[in-house]
Amino acid sequence: MAVEVRIPTVFRKFTGGSGAVEVQPGTVGSLFEQLETRYPDLRGQVRTPDGQLHRFVNVYVNDEDARYLEKLETKVTEGDTVSILPSVAGGQA
Amino acid sequence: MSEAGDAKEPTETLILPAEITDEMIEHCRAGRPNEACGILASQDGGMVKVFRMTNATLSPLRYSLDPKEQFAVYRAIEGRGWELGAVFHSHTHTEAYPSPTDVRLASEDVPYLIVSLADEPPSVRAFRILKANWTDQEGEIKEVSVSVLR
Repeated sequence: MAVEVRIPTVFRKFTGGSGAVEVQPGTVGSLFEQLETRYPDLRGQVRTPDGQLHRFVNVYVNDEDARYLEKLETKVTEGDTVSILPSVAGGQA
Repeated sequence: MSEAGDAKEPTETLILPAEITDEMIEHCRAGRPNEACGILASQDGGMVKVFRMTNATLSPLRYSLDPKEQFAVYRAIEGRGWELGAVFHSHTHTEAYPSPTDVRLASEDVPYLIVSLADEPPSVRAFRILKANWTDQEGEIKEVSVSVLR
């Protein structure tokens, strides 16, 4: 059993339209490495060039915000679901 | 920059049931003086549900979804077999057109609906913000026709 990563609409152009992708267990950081290897255009979208989580991206491991866990070092095991959410914001000024 | 004349001509139409439109406008009115925001869920291309959401910025000029609430709404949408259909927010005193801030912070690849409360009755318009990279500061504004089914 793998780990399911939920892909937001903004990144689906990089995943061939898939809203969910399966990867192997590891850490949140290793999941992104797997995703970036499989979908090279995703590189730089979720993580900054120096490998940190982009400030406008929130990552949930099951129901928990990874920022309040171990961030990119958060362990992800078989059957877990990881959700990537871009910040949604704006306004008239 | 975002001037009203800059938007590309619509080639896409968003069909909004009257009850969805009315609920969205009601949520925007209730949020005054601050901007209000939310999400529309879709099914087979049709908008089926308004998720009234909290403006975490609590500002008359800006909005942001609360990440935890956003996550819960996305889960609810997935759980019902729906899809993220559109993001909406209000402009309390300006036209229903994306501001430079709206363009800069646009992220999801869905239509962005803007409800302008500047005049009565409120106006509702929709746009896609097209950016090469979602973190780009600028992008192309493409209007989406809005057709309200009454």
